Amino acid sequence: MNVLDEVLTRARSLVDRWEDEDCGTVTVKDFCRYAAALNDADYIDRARKREATGEPVEAPALFLAATMSWEDGPPERELRPDGLAARESPCTMGLPVRQVHGGQTVRLLRGPVAGSRVTASRAVTSAERKQGRSGAFVLLGLTTRFTSADGTELTAVDETIVVMEALDSPGAP
Amino acid sequence: MNPPVAGDICPPQRYTHSTVQLFRFSAVSWNSHRIHYDAGFAASEGFPGAVVQSTLHGETLTRYALAWAGPNSLLETVSWRNRTTAVAGEPLTWTGTVQAVEGARVSLEVAVLKADGTPCVTGTVQIALV
Repeated sequence: MNVLDEVLTRARSLVDRWEDEDCGTVTVKDFCRYAAALNDADYIDRARKREATGEPVEAPALFLAATMSWEDGPPERELRPDGLAARESPCTMGLPVRQVHGGQTVRLLRGPVAGSRVTASRAVTSAERKQGRSGAFVLLGLTTRFTSADGTELTAVDETIVVMEALDSPGAP
Repeated sequence: MNPPVAGDICPPQRYTHSTVQLFRFSAVSWNSHRIHYDAGFAASEGFPGAVVQSTLHGETLTRYALAWAGPNSLLETVSWRNRTTAVAGEPLTWTGTVQAVEGARVSLEVAVLKADGTPCVTGTVQIALV
């Protein structure tokens, strides 16, 4: 079995197996640091003013969707050679692959507010073998639904991940 | 701004993501994938530099659309597809065209273009005018 077949087999065994992850309680600092990475000084100014007057502070629109993982994370020695953790690359641990995002659809239902506890429910939803201009790849589909403690859905993300053989792998282009 | 109508073209926005921004975005989004901050590693995977994160492209698509629509606009949905990679320091251009207007809901067809006009990201942004 080659590398991509193994990815496909692993992914198909995970399809529709939902896992919950506690994202913790989101804070104004989390939001402002995210905004700072986007050079959005106006958001930081508005958020801190609202915080100072006791008003609710809503996260930047894509804050939940953009955060790759909410787990504490493993030490460096447990990362894959490409820097990803097992949680972020569920079907590829130990395999010589490269991967990139194919795309995303993000639906904003209700903005998370600082101080609220958020849960992410995630599942592999599809796995297909494809042939592209630069060779064969596996296209993984993943869905993540973020909800608040009272069950309100906040954000829904559908994304695809393109998994290719590593460049130095036998059979890679 | 006049009420948008289908076919309206948004003014293009030129920008470049710096290496520092890619690093900070990786850090704040807890994304340790080395292709986004380690140019040497990115080269080993066939990329000409540190690769712009997909979600950072999503932010760009969204933020320029919201800026165009004005302060009374809210993001409802954004959807994008990565067609080819962009890297740190690369000149990029955001473009947008109004696809449809239904009541207070505006749909934009958006793209991120490379300097030669090749689209590296294409997508749609749906905004509610409130």
